[in-house]
Amino acid sequence: MKIRIKHILILFWLLILIFRAEVLLNFVVLSAKYFLLFFTNFSEAFQFLDLSLIDPIVSISLFVLIPLVLIFFKKKLNFVKAEINFPVIVLLILFLAFFFTPIITNENPDFQKDLKVTKLLSPFSSVKVIHLKSEERGNNSLGESFRQYKDKIVKPSFDESLIFADEINVTRDQVIYEQKGLIKNIEISKVETEDGEPVIDEKTFFLGTDEFGRDIFTRIIYGARISLLVGTGSVFVSLIIGLAIGFVSGFRGGIIDVIFSRITDLFLAFPVIYLIILILAMFGNSLLSVIFVLGFSGWMSLFKIVKSEVISAKNKDYIVSAGLLGLTKFDILTKEILPVIIVPVLVNIIFQFSNVILAESALSYLGLGSGSSYPSWGTMIESGQQYITKAWWMIFFPGLILILTIFSVNDLGKRLNKLFNPAVR
Amino acid sequence: MNKDLLKALVKRVASSVLTLILLISFLFVLVRLSPGNPTQKFLSADFSPELAQRVTSSFKLDQPIAEQYFNFIVNAVTGDFGISYNYRLPVFTVVWQFLSFTLFFSFLSFFIQLFLSYGLALKAIKKTNGRLDKFLSGSSLVIYATPSFVLGVFLIFIFSAKLDLFPSAGLKSLDFDSFSLPGQIWDYFIHLILPMITLSFAGIAMFYKYLRDNLEEVYRQNFVLNLRASGFKEKTILKKHILPNAARPLISVAGIELGILLGGTLITEVIFGLPGMGRLMMDSIFSRDYPLVVGCAFTAGLLMIITNFIADLLKMKIDKRMIKGLMN
Repeated sequence: MKIRIKHILILFWLLILIFRAEVLLNFVVLSAKYFLLFFTNFSEAFQFLDLSLIDPIVSISLFVLIPLVLIFFKKKLNFVKAEINFPVIVLLILFLAFFFTPIITNENPDFQKDLKVTKLLSPFSSVKVIHLKSEERGNNSLGESFRQYKDKIVKPSFDESLIFADEINVTRDQVIYEQKGLIKNIEISKVETEDGEPVIDEKTFFLGTDEFGRDIFTRIIYGARISLLVGTGSVFVSLIIGLAIGFVSGFRGGIIDVIFSRITDLFLAFPVIYLIILILAMFGNSLLSVIFVLGFSGWMSLFKIVKSEVISAKNKDYIVSAGLLGLTKFDILTKEILPVIIVPVLVNIIFQFSNVILAESALSYLGLGSGSSYPSWGTMIESGQQYITKAWWMIFFPGLILILTIFSVNDLGKRLNKLFNPAVR
Repeated sequence: MNKDLLKALVKRVASSVLTLILLISFLFVLVRLSPGNPTQKFLSADFSPELAQRVTSSFKLDQPIAEQYFNFIVNAVTGDFGISYNYRLPVFTVVWQFLSFTLFFSFLSFFIQLFLSYGLALKAIKKTNGRLDKFLSGSSLVIYATPSFVLGVFLIFIFSAKLDLFPSAGLKSLDFDSFSLPGQIWDYFIHLILPMITLSFAGIAMFYKYLRDNLEEVYRQNFVLNLRASGFKEKTILKKHILPNAARPLISVAGIELGILLGGTLITEVIFGLPGMGRLMMDSIFSRDYPLVVGCAFTAGLLMIITNFIADLLKMKIDKRMIKGLMN
């Protein structure tokens, strides 16, 4: 059987439905509560709206939309029937991870608690969790319960009401738990209970935890977000720069062309990573500056393609007549020239995309990436190198994902190139 | 013909010089645009205005921007990038100390890459689409997709952490001075194996792919069929006719590859803690030693301009048609 895009989508949808049913339910309850709150206490309802909710709202509504779109627009969406191979599956999963991050993991990437229990756990190890009774239980207002449900959707990076332990024993009125050899106890009245028995959850870390006890799976999923964001952002920047400069210097020629060609040669002659590092070091590194600098350092090949295509096209009859008909230069670019050069540009953009993902992770590895506020694959590998003798999973999984990603993007580019220029082997 | 050669040479030198001036101007713009200026390190709020003025003018920052630009070019050409804050030495001296390792390291890796990929491509092309050929083509794709730092860290994990065969960082052991001369060379060698693999793998994959495809293309051409029909031995055809034709475009790729190599050495030096220019640059970034950062970046750009120039000279020597190409 051939694997098609819709199979992956349906599989993903079912997996989420099975494993993350709790999140979806919580979200339904949360929206119901918000609805009630909206009509009873408008000003309070307004206070609770903040940016952190946008992410889960967008991903959950997209999640609901997937089956609807698949069913109702069956005829129009031909691309979901496309047969795909392994690299495209990888890319598809990455894009799903980009849009559905909060429901795939349902954990804060920076969540850390009880270092001595949770740090450097190997893959598939699990710890036991007891919930402390929250103290403001008495306050049963709608707003308070809304806040509690919101914390279940938008997970905080720190939760005082959780106790992680290796082993838990329950006696008549006490819960005895063991944290790496230390035995502690807590009265049962302080613990959240169900039918008189304390609630004991088990938390499994599929890919292990890092040196701060953060879940590596969650961080990889959030890292996919950063990689794709930086990739698309900076490819967009280089696309705009390359198109604009290439068009101008191809159309005008003369001194402008000479100047831009010289500058391109300079950028090509410069070892790009030194340039990027230099700029980031001088202007500070943040997510935005990384996107712009990577975009700024990748337009050279696009410029060359656009320029040569424009030069070969500008004297052709249809361009000349378009100019005589009174089209502006911008119209000629977007309506006449862009459709012709879209193929080589697209192939170039895809290779540029993989270069940028690589460069972003390398910068993060060097400590000049988007900063510590966002988990990035490069940062994870960098911190894993310090624990290389104790925790192989800290470097292995991000490294593997990185290789897979770059390989898949390269492969996609190669296939497109082959499709459009059959002469190329 | 000789006149043409001279003309092409002059043109090539002029273009190199122009690129160099553009490089310096670019650095100047960056330095001037970046927030803050060098006097901040030496000025204090307690200074009287006259003293502050004197400090500023000692940096020549009160001069018009055109004059500053001119000064910057003159200083850059004479190799004067100021004094490093950390080392308390002229930037040129510091960079020079670290540059030798980077040069040695990257050129050694360059030759290893050329040598290995050449051998592998020749082996693979003997039986096109054979088992070896397919294996090498497949693995070269994967290697090409492996970022050097991932490869380096994986190598450290396997060979240093698990098997304990090679040291994971540094250039020499702690008791280096107690070794005899062969022992010292062996020590260097064993420290350089993992970095060398890390640095060379991607390049080997790239050169291999390029050489193999070129060889295949040349094999398909009609003159090879003609030679075969005329009864030449396969060995002679390969050595005398195919290899020169396939290797020629490699030189321009090699020029670009050297640039990638310089970037690659930066990351490799950081992974393995080697005393090269790349690590010097990273260290000086994190200690805010900006004169040294600019000096390193300039040196890297200069190296690239020089190597591209040499690659073009080689091209002219090998292929006379290139002279015409360079003229346009």
